[in-house]
Amino acid sequence: MKLWIGGAIFVAILMGITWMMAGGDIGANDTMGSLAMLGALATAVIAIFVSIKYVRQIQEEKAGGELADENWDGIGEYKNELPMGWAVLFLATTVWAVWYYLVGYPLNAYSQIGEYNEEVAIHDASFADKHANLDAQTLVKMGESVFIVQCSQCHGLAADGIDGKAANLNKRIEEKSVRHAIVNGANNLGYAAPMPDRNGLFNMNTGALITDAEIATVSKYVANGMKGAGEDVFQGTCAACHGSDGKGMEFVAPSIADFNPELVATVLKHGKKGVIGAMPAFDLLNEQQIKAVGAYVTSLSK
Amino acid sequence: MFHWLEKHPFFFAVAVFVTIAFAGLVEILPNFAEASRPTIGTKPYSTLELAGRHVYIKNSCNACHSQLIRPFKSETDRYGAYSLSGEYAYDRPFLWGSKRTGPDLMRIGNVRTTDWHENHMWDPAGVVPGSIMPAYRWMFANEADVDTAYAEQVTVNKVFNVPYNKPIPMKDGSTETVPMAASLDAAKAEALADAKVIVADMKNQDVKDMVASGKIPEIVALIAYLNSLK
Ligand code: HEC
Ligand code: HEC
Ligand code: HEC
Repeated sequence: MKLWIGGAIFVAILMGITWMMAGGDIGANDTMGSLAMLGALATAVIAIFVSIKYVRQIQEEKAGGELADENWDGIGEYKNELPMGWAVLFLATTVWAVWYYLVGYPLNAYSQIGEYNEEVAIHDASFADKHANLDAQTLVKMGESVFIVQCSQCHGLAADGIDGKAANLNKRIEEKSVRHAIVNGANNLGYAAPMPDRNGLFNMNTGALITDAEIATVSKYVANGMKGAGEDVFQGTCAACHGSDGKGMEFVAPSIADFNPELVATVLKHGKKGVIGAMPAFDLLNEQQIKAVGAYVTSLSK
Repeated sequence: MFHWLEKHPFFFAVAVFVTIAFAGLVEILPNFAEASRPTIGTKPYSTLELAGRHVYIKNSCNACHSQLIRPFKSETDRYGAYSLSGEYAYDRPFLWGSKRTGPDLMRIGNVRTTDWHENHMWDPAGVVPGSIMPAYRWMFANEADVDTAYAEQVTVNKVFNVPYNKPIPMKDGSTETVPMAASLDAAKAEALADAKVIVADMKNQDVKDMVASGKIPEIVALIAYLNSLK
């Protein structure tokens, strides 16, 4: 009896505290507030009185039933039926465990790589979507950002090649690079037939192999932006592959008169090793970025 | 069985452990064994590369540089494909690092070349304006320790069965062999031959002279190592 009275007082105190903390704000028309108070009361009553019920049970009830045969140092066991709720829970847990073990974990487990793949797919889709139709100017701007992140360490922030450490991209090509290509040939960019070295370069005007003097003039001519002395040597020796304007021919030879996005893409795909140094092939960029950086590099020497 | 276990506390403890850890054992151990096998395309280091790796460790490059690309889009965009555990199979010790004052170097070999490393190690701010990475000019004069590198090669080959002189499968289906010399002298000759290939792409005349006279400066070994990080 004492327990029950104590419980009732305890519930009253709990409700009092709750009222002081929150109840003061509950107006007469506040249905939600009143319902919440009612819920609090129900919770308190159930919690307290269920506890009391079990405490009473421990105090008063005695276990009974038929004793099992075994006993351990005087401690025995009754042969009672399993409580229904316990048995159901046990079976349900077993079934769940088998499911989790065979299906749940192996097939539904969290995978970091799976999450990464989703992240990439979502990003790629939104990237393609957002940049589907860029105008030329935005493309160049985007290319500049790519350039600063991926290329400026070698080519410099101003794309000037940092005192000859890499190619100066503000002009198409240096004299020494042209000379190097003529003397040694070139086979960086994956053309079916590479550029031959000087022992394979015939000047059709003279009908002989290209000479030292001709190499010097034509190198200056190309480095100068296809201007000045040397045009005859160029037309006689190089135009067959590089085109009479030096702008290259598809599948035959690249442009040496100017940069274009396709050329930059080819350089990125194959890398380049020349007289200035070595540039690695790049596979970090996506198609849109390659296009953009190509547009940017092209814009530098325009 | 159970009665027997009850009477043997040690085995009882083992059985309890196995029972409790069962899920962990079946889920973690096979994965672990699978993932720690070398990935296709992972090669052991050559003598020169190992010497360079020692230079890297000696100078605590790993204090500022990690070698571990995590599977996040932001990382793979910048550094390349995320790292797999099998790629570290021949790293003893691995150089994951825990701090990135500088960028990750796990795949630096894909985006930088010998001549760039030469310029950068001589004067980082000369190529990357405002770089706070220190210059490492003494590496252009100090000699690399090929003896220790060869000793390590022999040790890992004997103790861990690292596959030197054996064909190693590459990603494109071909195989490659990383040689391990039969004697220290042969190892030195091999390292020098590798060094000559690297130096051909370098410009520093002192370094070229050293290699021509049969010595290997630390910078050459280090670049060989950095180029191998792909
Ligand atoms: C047989 C065809 C052919 C002839 C003739 C030829 N080239 Fe080339 N050239 C190529 C090819 C192909 C390439 C691309 C090489 C590569 O893959 O790197 C090339 C590349 C070059 C390059 C390097 C371009 C770069 O981006 O660095 C230069 C410079 C060059 N040629 C200049 C000349 C000059 C000057 C002549 C005449 C003296 C000439 N070429 C004659 C086929 C030719
Ligand atoms: C590791 C340093 C390095 C990086 C990074 C680098 N380059 Fe280069 N690049 C070079 C060097 C060195 C050359 C000169 C090669 C030679 O002709 O000797 C070069 C040459 C070029 C050329 C001229 C090729 C020709 O045919 O004349 C282009 C275009 C170019 N790079 C574009 C890029 C772009 C775009 C990026 C960024 C995505 C980039 N580079 C990143 C080092 C680098
Ligand atoms: C004090 C910290 C620090 C130390 C120590 C350090 N670095 Fe760096 N490193 C940097 C920073 C910061 C950068 C980025 C700026 C730059 O490229 O110079 C960098 C960049 C690099 C890069 C270029 C990475 C890229 O993606 O462009 C390489 C390669 C490199 N460090 C190698 C080394 C090596 C090898 C050592 C040891 C000999 C070393 N670093 C020691 C801070 C450090």
